[in-house]
Amino acid sequence: MIQLTRRSVLQRSLAVAAAGALARPYIANAAAKTATVWWTQGFVPEEDAAFKRIVDEYQKQSGNTIDYSLIPFAPLMQKIVSALTSGDVPDLVSHDINDQVVVPQNAWDDKVVEVSDVIDTQKDKYHPTVYLATQYYNNVTKKRGGYLIPFKTAVLPFHVWTPLVEKAGFKLSDAPKTWDAFWDFFKPMQPKLRETMRNVYAMGLQCTTTGPADGNNMFHHFLIANGGNGIVTKDGKPHLDDPQVKEAVIKSLTYITKAYKDGYVPSGALSWNDADDNNAFHSKLFVMDLDGTISTEVAIKDKEERAQVTTMSLPNKNDGTPMTAELGVGGAFIPKGAKSVDVAKEFMTYLIQPKVSNDFLKEGLGRWLPTMPSLVKDDPFWSADPQVKAYMTEGLLSDTVPNYPVFNPGYAEVNAQQIWGVAEADIIRNGVDPKTAAETALKKIETILAKYPIVQS
Amino acid sequence: MASVSVIEAGRVAPRRASVLRKLRGGLQGSEYAWAIAFCIPYIGVFIAFVVFPVFYGLWLGHQPSLYVELFNDPIYQQTVVNTILYLVIGVNVKMFLALLLSGFFMRRGWWVKGLLMIYVLPWAVPALPTFISIHWMLNTQWGLINNVLWDAFGIDGPGWLDTSRWLALGSVIVTYIWKNMPFWTVILLAGRMAIPQELYEAAEVDGATGIRRFVHVSLPLLANLYLVCTLLSTIFTLGDFNTAYFISGGGPALSTHVLATLGIRDAFEIARPQLGVAAVLSALPLMIPLVMLLMHKLRTSEVQL
Repeated sequence: MIQLTRRSVLQRSLAVAAAGALARPYIANAAAKTATVWWTQGFVPEEDAAFKRIVDEYQKQSGNTIDYSLIPFAPLMQKIVSALTSGDVPDLVSHDINDQVVVPQNAWDDKVVEVSDVIDTQKDKYHPTVYLATQYYNNVTKKRGGYLIPFKTAVLPFHVWTPLVEKAGFKLSDAPKTWDAFWDFFKPMQPKLRETMRNVYAMGLQCTTTGPADGNNMFHHFLIANGGNGIVTKDGKPHLDDPQVKEAVIKSLTYITKAYKDGYVPSGALSWNDADDNNAFHSKLFVMDLDGTISTEVAIKDKEERAQVTTMSLPNKNDGTPMTAELGVGGAFIPKGAKSVDVAKEFMTYLIQPKVSNDFLKEGLGRWLPTMPSLVKDDPFWSADPQVKAYMTEGLLSDTVPNYPVFNPGYAEVNAQQIWGVAEADIIRNGVDPKTAAETALKKIETILAKYPIVQS
Repeated sequence: MASVSVIEAGRVAPRRASVLRKLRGGLQGSEYAWAIAFCIPYIGVFIAFVVFPVFYGLWLGHQPSLYVELFNDPIYQQTVVNTILYLVIGVNVKMFLALLLSGFFMRRGWWVKGLLMIYVLPWAVPALPTFISIHWMLNTQWGLINNVLWDAFGIDGPGWLDTSRWLALGSVIVTYIWKNMPFWTVILLAGRMAIPQELYEAAEVDGATGIRRFVHVSLPLLANLYLVCTLLSTIFTLGDFNTAYFISGGGPALSTHVLATLGIRDAFEIARPQLGVAAVLSALPLMIPLVMLLMHKLRTSEVQL
C-alpha cells in the first residue's frame, strides 16, 4: 500500500502541473491547423447543411480542421460582444449583420484583422456596393481598409399575400410605381377584408424600438424614397443639416406614424423584434410588408402556400426616379488575438470563390444572394423562381447603397439605439409632432457621430 | 540589558505561539498544512467564479462618465422608476397575499392539501415557457385573453403590451406575483406550522379568536420571518431579468425596462458592455443596504421562529 505523506502529495501535484504545462506547446502546435469558427445559424435547416458541407469539403482539401459552432442570431451577437470585450476570441466570426453592428466599430478601434489579401482575390468580380461594404475606417491607422470578407448579400423586397389582395377586390398589377402611392394602394384593402376577417391589417410597418435590424432598414428605405440618402456620404461625413435630408426625415416619420395611428399597422409593431414581423406575416395578420431577405418565403414549406406570396422589388422614389435599395452584406471577420489567422483566411478564400459561394447560397434555398452579379446572370437558378428573381433583381441588378455604418461607424450606434424607432414611438405614444421628433433624432445622431471624426477616407 | 531581553523573549515566545495556534484554528504541524492543501481547490474555485467576475464587473463599470451618460438618459430614468415600482408593488403585494394564503392553507382537510398542490404549480413549472405563453396570451390580435373578451362580450380587448406603459408594466408585475407567490406562501406556511399549538389554545382561552388571534399571536411571531423573506425577495427581484424580458421585452418603446433588462440591452444590443454593467451596478446603493439589513436580521439572537 502506498503511504501518502504531505510531501509526496505536494510532489505529485507539482509533477502533474508541470506535465500539464509542458504538454501545452504540443496541443498549441496541433491547434495551429485548426480554426475556431462562430457562424450564424440559418433560418432554415438547409442553410446549416450547406455550411457543414462546405466545411467538410474544405477540410478534405486542406487537411485543416474547422472547429465551428452554429449559433442563433441573438446569442451569437452576445458571444461576439463578450469575446471582443474580454479578448478571448475565436479565429473567425460570421454574423448576418456584421456590416451594420460589429465590424464598423471594431475596425475603428483596431480590434479586427485587415483582410484585404483575402477580399482582393475576388475584387474584380464583386458587386461595387459589396466591395464598398468591405472597407471600414480604422481610427488607429487613420485609413480605410478591408475588414469584412463578404460571401452573401441581401436586400428588402416587398412580400405580399396575393389571395388577400384579390379577396379585397384588387390586382397587384395595378399597384402604383412610386413609393408612398405604392404603400397607399394597400390601405383600402383593410376595410374590405375586415368585412369577413376580424384581425387583418394593410401593412406590417416595423416602427419598432426593439430591433436589431428591421426597424432601421425599413426607415432607411423611406428616407431614401424621400430623397434623404445623403444623410451620411461615402466619405463618412454626416449631412444632418442638409434641408433635403431634414425634409426626408420628416416626411418619412410622418408617413410611417400616420399609417400606424390610422390603424393600418398592428399595434404590437412598436415592440416587434426581427422575427415578430415574419411570424405575423405567416399568420396573415397583414397583407404586405417590406422585410430583409426572402426568409418569409423560404420558411413556408408548403409549395402551394408559398406560391401565394408575391415577392416584389421596390417601386420608384417619390420623385419618380429609380429607387436605391440598401444592400446588406453578410461576411466574416477575424478578430485581433485570433490564434489561427492563416487557417481562417484560407477557409474564407476557399468559401468566396464564385462557384463555391454560389453553390453554398443556392443550397441555402437562395435566402441570401451572391456577392457577384456575374453569378446571377449566368446561373438560371436566380431567375427561374419568380420570388427569387424579384429579390435578385432588386439586390444585384438595380441601384444599391451599403448600410450607413459602412461609411461611418457611429451610425452603427445610431442603429443599435434604434433612434428612428424611438422617434416614431415619440410621435405615436407621446403626441410629439414629426418635425420636433425629427430634430430630436437628428440632434442625437449628431452627438453620436461627433465621437467618430473621420479625418481621411 | 541582555538578561532582560532574554527574559522578555522567554515571555513573548509562548504568547506568540498561542496566538498563532489560535489563528490556525487549534491545528498543529502537518494538520495545518493538510488543511491548507484541502482548502486550496475551494479557494481557487471561489477566486475564479466569485472574486474574479465581481471585480471584472466592477472594473468594466468603473468609469464615472458611464454613470453621467446613464443618468442623462431618459430611458434609464424611466427604468429606475420601473424597477422601484416593480420592487415595491411586486414584492409587497406578493408577500402580503402569500401571508394571507398561508393562513388559508393551514386549514385541515384533504381538499386544502390538493388545492395547495395545484397552487404551487406556477412556481414549479419552468419559468420561460410560462412567460412566453403569457406573452402570447396577451397578444392584442390573436391572444387568448382578447379572444375570450371578443367571444364572450363582443369587445376588442386593450393592447396589453402594445402602447401603454402602465398596462405593460402591470402585466409584468402581475405575472411576477403569479409566478413567485406560491414559493413564499409555502415558506410562510412552514413558519406558521412552527408556531406551537399551545399558544393558540392559550390565546383562545383568553378570548382571542379569528382576526385577533392572527394580529396578536401569528403576526408577531411571523414578523421577523416575514421581514427576512421580504428582504430576500427584494434582493432576488432586483436581479430578475426573465419576467420583464419575456413578458413585455422592455416595450412598448423601451418604457418597461428594469435595470436587469436594460443592462443586457446596453451590453449586447447597443454593444456597449461597460454601459450595461454600469446600469446593473447602479443598483448597488440599494442592494448593499438590503444585504446588510438582511445579515443583521439573520443574527440568531433576533430570530423568533
